[in-house]
Amino acid sequence: MESQQNIKKKNYSLRLERISQSLRLIFSSKIAIIGLSMFVFWVVLGIVSIFWTPYEPNATQFAQNLTPNATNWLGTDHLGRDILSRLMTGTQVILLKTRLPGIGVIPGGVALWGVFGSLLLGTVLGLNAGYRGGWTDQVIMQFLDALIAFPVIVLYLVVISALGRGDLVVILAITVTGAPGVARLARSLALDIRTRDYIRAAETRGESPWYIMFKEILPNVSSPLLVDGMLRVGYAIFAIGTLGFLGIGLPPPDPDWGNMVNEARRNIFSNQLAVIWPALSISTLVIGLNLFADGLNEEINRFQK
Amino acid sequence: MKKTIITKAQMGKVHPLIPEYYEQFTAGKLSRREFLRGATLLGLSATLAACAAPATQVAATAVGASDAAASGGIVRGGTLRNAMQLQLLDHPARLSWIEGANVVRQVGEYLTETGVDNITRPYLLEKWVASDDLLTWTLYLRKDVTFNNGDSMNADDVVFSFGEWLNPDIGSSMLGLLSYLNGPEDVEKVDDYTVRLHLNSPNIAVPEHLFHYPAIILHRDFEGDFVKQPIGTGAFTLEEYSEGERAVLKRREDYWRMGEDGQPLPYLDEIIIVSIDKDAAVAAMQSNQVDTMYIPRPSDWLAMKDNPELVVRPAQTSQCYTVRMRVDIEPWNDVRVRNALKMCQDREKILQLAYFGEGDLSIDAHIAPVAPSFCEKPIPAYDPQGAKALLAEAGYPNGLKVVLSTKNDEAEPEIAQALKELAAPAGFDIELDITDSGGYWDRWTEVPLGITAWAHRPLAVMLLSLAYTADSDGNPVSWNETRWVDDEFSTLLRKAEKTLDLEERRGLMCQLEQIMQDRGPIGNSFWKRVWNITNKKFQNVKSHPSSYDLFYEVWKSEA
Repeated sequence: MESQQNIKKKNYSLRLERISQSLRLIFSSKIAIIGLSMFVFWVVLGIVSIFWTPYEPNATQFAQNLTPNATNWLGTDHLGRDILSRLMTGTQVILLKTRLPGIGVIPGGVALWGVFGSLLLGTVLGLNAGYRGGWTDQVIMQFLDALIAFPVIVLYLVVISALGRGDLVVILAITVTGAPGVARLARSLALDIRTRDYIRAAETRGESPWYIMFKEILPNVSSPLLVDGMLRVGYAIFAIGTLGFLGIGLPPPDPDWGNMVNEARRNIFSNQLAVIWPALSISTLVIGLNLFADGLNEEINRFQK
Repeated sequence: MKKTIITKAQMGKVHPLIPEYYEQFTAGKLSRREFLRGATLLGLSATLAACAAPATQVAATAVGASDAAASGGIVRGGTLRNAMQLQLLDHPARLSWIEGANVVRQVGEYLTETGVDNITRPYLLEKWVASDDLLTWTLYLRKDVTFNNGDSMNADDVVFSFGEWLNPDIGSSMLGLLSYLNGPEDVEKVDDYTVRLHLNSPNIAVPEHLFHYPAIILHRDFEGDFVKQPIGTGAFTLEEYSEGERAVLKRREDYWRMGEDGQPLPYLDEIIIVSIDKDAAVAAMQSNQVDTMYIPRPSDWLAMKDNPELVVRPAQTSQCYTVRMRVDIEPWNDVRVRNALKMCQDREKILQLAYFGEGDLSIDAHIAPVAPSFCEKPIPAYDPQGAKALLAEAGYPNGLKVVLSTKNDEAEPEIAQALKELAAPAGFDIELDITDSGGYWDRWTEVPLGITAWAHRPLAVMLLSLAYTADSDGNPVSWNETRWVDDEFSTLLRKAEKTLDLEERRGLMCQLEQIMQDRGPIGNSFWKRVWNITNKKFQNVKSHPSSYDLFYEVWKSEA
């Protein structure tokens, strides 16, 4: 009994040690800290917006196209809505919540689920291609290369025009367009790792290919995949913004930043700030995530050396 | 018996333009018939107008005094640069975009012209004469009109043009409009300058139909491609036309109409049209790279209205955005549900949000105040509680979830978002389905609930028969997007279509408007205003309610 408790304690302290190691890794990079701060800023703002915004984000209760003032800190848009409230709420759909038809709202934003989807699909395909090789590799990679050859915007349009609009469709669009890149990365990592001795040992033990791919290879390629995923969250936010800008993104009136840019663009000659604020929000979040991923990548590489 | 006399002041009370027409009549510029038609279209009863014509003893002011004064400042020459999309252009009868028509109308012309005041007058015609039963229309052509290839225009050209419009192989929208003609056999050449139309059903709007934008009078030898064969009677010649790039039009020396200075129109030497999108056009206007643009949007108006280099000229129109409901589909087949949604319109707020207050509030009928036979009615108030009660009565006590479809290139997204918010207290949970323009026009007649943009028509009866009636088999006509067919409404409309007396027609319109308000298929918050925004150097610019470019009499003060 006592020895089991000791093992649990040891495991617990090991976990703590790992977490503190990871935190040390993050905090040893100034770039990562800056990036993380920018990301956390938006996450916190998004969480706050669930409980409170200065005004109802969809309420057309003010004069149109107001410049920043004491009441509306960032001004109002062409429909007389408070831009700050809409920016805060816009964070939710990207990072914090997803609206699924028939199910309701689930935690995690569209960008996060989209990237999760592309990581999942890309990793499965990439590991299979890289580890199995041969015709499996050929078939998977030819298919993914064909997907990559399509312009991303065209792929978005195909997915959305085929399936309609909504959070789930945007997630699917991000998954489909992101998976080939993840798969290429996972494949290249798997190609390297499959030649290692411990993989030979596992094969000799008679482990199944799935076991080897997900128990032996995946843990050793997870760091670069995670860093890549972090970058992809930035791309996904950009993609949501692009879709919103094209008018085929998340359905109005719930604000998303891309759609805010698109709507305000019509009034750009009389209210430039209504375009600048959401554009700036997209930029800061994407740059924040990129800096965080870059810093993390740098530190991981240094740590591994 | 006491003679009825109507004074100029009394005419002005009916409509401010009637005294002007009277002045033109007394000066011999308008025939008695033309005066009567104009005056009756504007609201003066035919009887009173007839009394006014011979009896009024008002001294007419000198004809065109203001024009004469203005003509002193007329400068000839100069180039006008216009920003407008240039689409594929081939057969004018096939025109389906006003932009294309705005190019062609500089080179070719129409038998009639509906002016900026929404009144239709003879143009290539000297006059028209309708029989009392409105089944026979005789068109008397002007004898002094020449094409730009030197040929005189005569009845052969008009008969040829009708043949093209009525030829199903050409695919002109005139074919549907002239449904009262069975075919070219109903267009009779009486002599070289007279053409007679034999209608199979009476219609009051024939002159207006002759100004429908594809109704350019073509040369009798026209072979089908206007860019290759730009022959017309208009004041400019087409020198260059590159789809999506630019068009160049040059002044014609021997045009048949004279300017105020006694020389042939036009005053301008050249028009250059550049095909750019609206955002680029606004930037180009502000930096003086172009002089005018096609249909500024409300946001463009907002951006340019205070620019001291530009002059904004608004025009009232019968253009609107209808929130239309398909009455053959649940829940919109229940008039209570339709009326509940109509009650959710805070019309003033919707006008402000969608059009910055630049328009006229409306009742839920498709009959605009600019129509001569308009009957004024009180604007319904925003009543979400009443709407909620109606919804409950219709079997939706817990509210109703509906999808509202529309397009995103004009003010529809703003109207849709405002309506979503305004209708929520009544229990409507509106999901918005907003697509690009093409995405909506592909299905505009099919969606259960939508917002459709309707263009300007000078007469209300033109539009009502197009959108709210059934064909001879009882099926809704092709543009009846709501499938709403009401027997009483249709009967009254048919009666209005053959009623010349405006007072009588106004009475019928009153009933038609009330039926649409009480049980019709549309919500209509406001009538749009359109703007012509042009550099201040250009004078005598007119803002047309259909956004037609009328450049013949425009001149540039610094040529």
